[in-house]
Amino acid sequence: MKNEFLSPGQRMMQRFRRDRIGMISSVFVAMLFIVAVTFGALSLLDVPFPADPNLTNLAEKLQPPSASHWLGTDNLGRDVLARLLHGAYISLSVGFVAVFVSLAIGVAVGAVSGYFGGWVDNVLMRVVDAIMCFPTFFLILTAVALLGPSLLNIIVVIGLVSWTGTARLVRAEFLTLRESEYVRAARGLGQNSWAIIFRHILPNAAAPIFVTAVLGIPDAILTEAGLSFLGFGVQPPQATWGNIISDGKSYILDAWWLILFPGLAIFVSALAFYLAGDALRRAASSKSETQ
Amino acid sequence: MTSFIIRRLLITLVLVFFISIVSFFIITLTPGSPYPWGELDPKISQTVKDNFRKQFHLDEPIWKQYYLNMRGLFSGDLRSVKDGRPVLERIGERLPATLALNVCAIVISLSFGLLIGVYSARNAGRWPDVTLSVLSFAMLALPSFWVSYLVVIGITDWFGTPLLGTSSYGTVFPNAASQFLDYAWHLALPASLLALGGIAAQSRYIRASMIETLNEDYIRTARAKGLDEETVSYKHALRNSIRPLITGIGGLLPALIGGSIIIESIFAYPGIGRLGYQAVLERDYPTLIALNFITAALVLLGNLLADILYAAVDPRVRLE
Amino acid sequence: MRFVKFLIYGVPLLLVLLFAGAFWNATQLSTSRKNEMIIGSIGEPTKINPILSTDSAASEVASLLFEGLLRYSSDLELEPALAKEFSLSQTTTFFFASPESALAAREILLGLRDRWAEWTLRDVAAEGRELRLDLTQPGLDTSILIADLLGIEPITSIAQIRAEVGDKARELLAAFRAAHPEIDVVREWFDYDAVFEVSVLGDGASIAKTLKTFLKEQKIENLVVTALDKQDFLAEPVVRFVLRDGVLWQDGVAFSSRDVAFTFWALTDASIGSPRKPDFDLIQSLETPTPLEVVVTYRKPFSPALASWTMSIIPAHILEGKPIAWWDEFFHRNPVGLGPFKFVEWKTNEYIRLERNPIYYDGAPWLDAIVFRTLPDPIANRLAFETRQVDYWNVDPWAVKAFQEDARFDVFSAPAKQYNWVGWNLRLPIFQDLRVRQAFAHAVNVPEMIKYVLYGNGVQSTGIFPPMYWFANSDVEPIPYDPDRARALLDEAGWEVGSDGIRVKDGERLSFKLITNQGNETRKDIATLVQDNLKGIGVEVEVEIYEWAVFISRFVMKQEFESLVLAWTTPPDYDAFQVWHSSQTNPDQLNLVGYNNPKVDRMIEQLRQEYDRDKIIEMAGEIQRTIYDDQPFLFLYVPDSTSVIWKDSFRIRRPAPDGGWMDTPVEMTKAGWSYYLQWFYRPEYADKLPPVEVPQS
Repeated sequence: MKNEFLSPGQRMMQRFRRDRIGMISSVFVAMLFIVAVTFGALSLLDVPFPADPNLTNLAEKLQPPSASHWLGTDNLGRDVLARLLHGAYISLSVGFVAVFVSLAIGVAVGAVSGYFGGWVDNVLMRVVDAIMCFPTFFLILTAVALLGPSLLNIIVVIGLVSWTGTARLVRAEFLTLRESEYVRAARGLGQNSWAIIFRHILPNAAAPIFVTAVLGIPDAILTEAGLSFLGFGVQPPQATWGNIISDGKSYILDAWWLILFPGLAIFVSALAFYLAGDALRRAASSKSETQ
Repeated sequence: MTSFIIRRLLITLVLVFFISIVSFFIITLTPGSPYPWGELDPKISQTVKDNFRKQFHLDEPIWKQYYLNMRGLFSGDLRSVKDGRPVLERIGERLPATLALNVCAIVISLSFGLLIGVYSARNAGRWPDVTLSVLSFAMLALPSFWVSYLVVIGITDWFGTPLLGTSSYGTVFPNAASQFLDYAWHLALPASLLALGGIAAQSRYIRASMIETLNEDYIRTARAKGLDEETVSYKHALRNSIRPLITGIGGLLPALIGGSIIIESIFAYPGIGRLGYQAVLERDYPTLIALNFITAALVLLGNLLADILYAAVDPRVRLE
Repeated sequence: MRFVKFLIYGVPLLLVLLFAGAFWNATQLSTSRKNEMIIGSIGEPTKINPILSTDSAASEVASLLFEGLLRYSSDLELEPALAKEFSLSQTTTFFFASPESALAAREILLGLRDRWAEWTLRDVAAEGRELRLDLTQPGLDTSILIADLLGIEPITSIAQIRAEVGDKARELLAAFRAAHPEIDVVREWFDYDAVFEVSVLGDGASIAKTLKTFLKEQKIENLVVTALDKQDFLAEPVVRFVLRDGVLWQDGVAFSSRDVAFTFWALTDASIGSPRKPDFDLIQSLETPTPLEVVVTYRKPFSPALASWTMSIIPAHILEGKPIAWWDEFFHRNPVGLGPFKFVEWKTNEYIRLERNPIYYDGAPWLDAIVFRTLPDPIANRLAFETRQVDYWNVDPWAVKAFQEDARFDVFSAPAKQYNWVGWNLRLPIFQDLRVRQAFAHAVNVPEMIKYVLYGNGVQSTGIFPPMYWFANSDVEPIPYDPDRARALLDEAGWEVGSDGIRVKDGERLSFKLITNQGNETRKDIATLVQDNLKGIGVEVEVEIYEWAVFISRFVMKQEFESLVLAWTTPPDYDAFQVWHSSQTNPDQLNLVGYNNPKVDRMIEQLRQEYDRDKIIEMAGEIQRTIYDDQPFLFLYVPDSTSVIWKDSFRIRRPAPDGGWMDTPVEMTKAGWSYYLQWFYRPEYADKLPPVEVPQS
């Protein structure tokens, strides 16, 4: 099919498909999804496959990778592979839900700011500036201490501190799109602002917003890992990648597998999301192909 | 220009206070109060605890606590809950090390980011660019504590070289050059790890910006006129890419201060990140207020500086 | 433009070269060490002042800079330090209705001189209506005996009254005495300026009432006046110290009793606010008759008092008259002491440097310096040890075996002075049934915990005193692991297994929260294991981990927890008052679980007044057994503390018992492997040392 006859969306898909790295990483992301959802379901149903991630077996603590435990055991004798797989669900959902929260807030703020402009824009952008200088660690500590160290609180807090980038991006998009012809036409026709925002501008800004979302997921995952490392993550015996690392932190010189594999998992997942997101961004943009 | 600067300074001042107020409220509302007596000690009497609370105004209403602490900060008399020393002194003695670490990290980020960004942009779309892109994202995707631990353990196991703190201990140095290089080594490793994310981010910005510029009409005109590729890249395109370089610094600062908490712990490096982390855990309110204020001020001023520089560099920009 | 290109490519290249050069240099650093010992510590001291510091980092540093009148020997017994000798005696005072009665009583006692030796009575004196007995040993037995002998009638009983007035205690008491000259106040004592306690002659209840009325008129807030037990006599032990002559502070000024008096003042002064004050609350007065003598009079028999004089003495000539703010600014980061090492430099968050003190009274150390390096991350500590950046490391339990088997290292292991426990909040109905607590003790497999969490480096705890102390009871048998018995006990207590596997009684599920603090892997493991073990007998446990500040202030000090995992570190002190007496169960006090056993209360109070070593062992043993049987805690274990040094990095050359010097490798003592730190030396600097006549090991 020749370029001139394709819609923007189809054009985007075609470009995307031609991007080999993007395709590989997207496949990996998809696999990650499947693993997470499958094992998440298994976890919720308490199915111990390939091994029970919460079964402590002191006789087998700190075993290096072997035939019976492919990735070794941790300091309570729990199988690392099982914990890694069952924890994938949590680690990834932190990423997704946190990004969703931050997206919701960021889009709202950016849209209002970019569309209405004037003093509203000024105030909101100053607030964004202020928050970007915020010592985010304090906020996280507060939430965890005040509300209790639970998964939900961590997700919410990460979402609450990361919306500023999205807001700025959305605002920029809105500033441009606000001046486009069909918006001016819609305004001339008397449509009210909210309808214009939701029906005209937002869909056209959807692509960059989506890309930001995808690129934001690895940030959230890395933040959760960092939090767990510092000890503010999810409580035992729940497994998350960050948790396995922080539990194994003390044994690092004697049990390298406790740090290597979860870290590798985090690294590879984050990389996959970044590359996929970047490919999407390139495919979605209407600039030349060397971008 | 001057009116712009003044206006921005005022806004910055307001913002800094706003930040410090909000974070102070958040911290004081967190459960847990300053408890400088380390382990659970049976022998501390109620009077000692009462005296302590009085000295640090812990029983006053929150707004008054904020006011008293801020007044102390500006008069220089604000003292840390932990050891009674003036807070500014505690921060001040960590400043040189922190500055050294962060300046190093910034220099590394900028220079390598520029190199990678420019090289990628010039070879856009071809395999060097693709490889470098993947590499950049890889650097962003590395969890900092993971890679730090791996590096530290690797070097210790394979080479046995000391790498913690700011210098090697108890060894006899043959000459001054060796001692200088020792300091350099202890600084270089954590700074490099701290700069990884910065390199990646900077290279992406510069690459994107340069590519965008290289596709502009006036560049095509220059090429058509016969200018060689090198001149085009370095003289014209690069100039327009200075902006991300400069604004990037503004974005680097909060990231560095935050990221240094982990690096400083692992490398036992005496900087501000660790100070802040411990102050939070110990609820050392005076230190936290001072730190918040100072870091917020630094970041906002950094941003302001970046904006001014940017305006100076690019005459097309009109400052509001 | 060439220039720009050069910059872009050149600067990174330059940085890489610099990096490589620095790395190469680091690998070439020689391994020749200075004549110093480098100690890594996770925390950093807040202030170096032995009477104010409560964190272990500060204590470590202070212990090398300062010294007390007494110190602990390598067997953890008290031995002379700055005081070259000490003696105990007691003054017991009786008050009579009239001077005639007093004289008459004196006559009676003089007539029984042949029994004085048996009574440890040395002298009897009458002054006015007072009769004073000088006893050679502290204690109550003799005094009670003599009281019986003299008969109740002529003796006026003494009442103790305590008034909590909040402020201006001295002023108020003086005013009261002026207003009521008819009330005979024979002793006064002040707790800062907030509380006073008086001993008065007469009926305690009515005098207390008078006092209360008087104080109420002064409009005191939160006034509390209590009449304590009445006594027939005042038994006031006296400790007399003779100080060493010729001891000098590091700045050359002579050490004298003035320093001791000043230290005592600082310990009890409100503006200084020392957390060590409670140890000195039973001192009535401290006198310094000569520069080398200190006489301390106590308000009542209090045998733990001697141990309190291991408290380091601080220099009066520097600190007297200066406010605490001055101390913070000039002394706490630049201390002057009289110990084996003297303070030289403190680079915050990096290191503290101490150097040899050539005028140390016990002999100058061989090492040139000791450096405390601040390495906040435990892994960093170990790495620093392995690259010889610190000279010893406190080994984690899981690495002990590896180090023991490695011939490059010397490992020293001994039980630590602490015990780990799970505390049940006895205020909650669930935990009030002894059978339930016993069931829990049977259900948790402590030996397995020791085997797997401590890798075998520990022993099961059998109560509140760790086994290495002379007063610990070695006859208490640990509760065995017996889950069947646990289930039987729960059944007996009426807890039946419910439909979801968790036991239920009267509609309530046997479910509770177990909390502990963050940052401690071992405690987390313990909590998880307890959770697991109890699940097996039908008990549901939710584990929650909080960071230290929140843990302490929200849950522990307010005593708002259901159960918690924690550890007590105990000095060689048999006084169990603060943790186990029922009066210490209020918020901010240390009887966290609300333990209340009147029999134990009485035993604790009696033990405090007992000076006889055998009796102390007996009573302490009884207390330990009773508390263990009551199971307010699930007593877990006493861990081993293991240290490792590079083999032959140090040796010890110390005075031999019969003159000359003995040379030994570093060895373990009850007081730790570094007890002889003063005599440590590095073998490569051995030629500087005095020769050994009789070579050993």
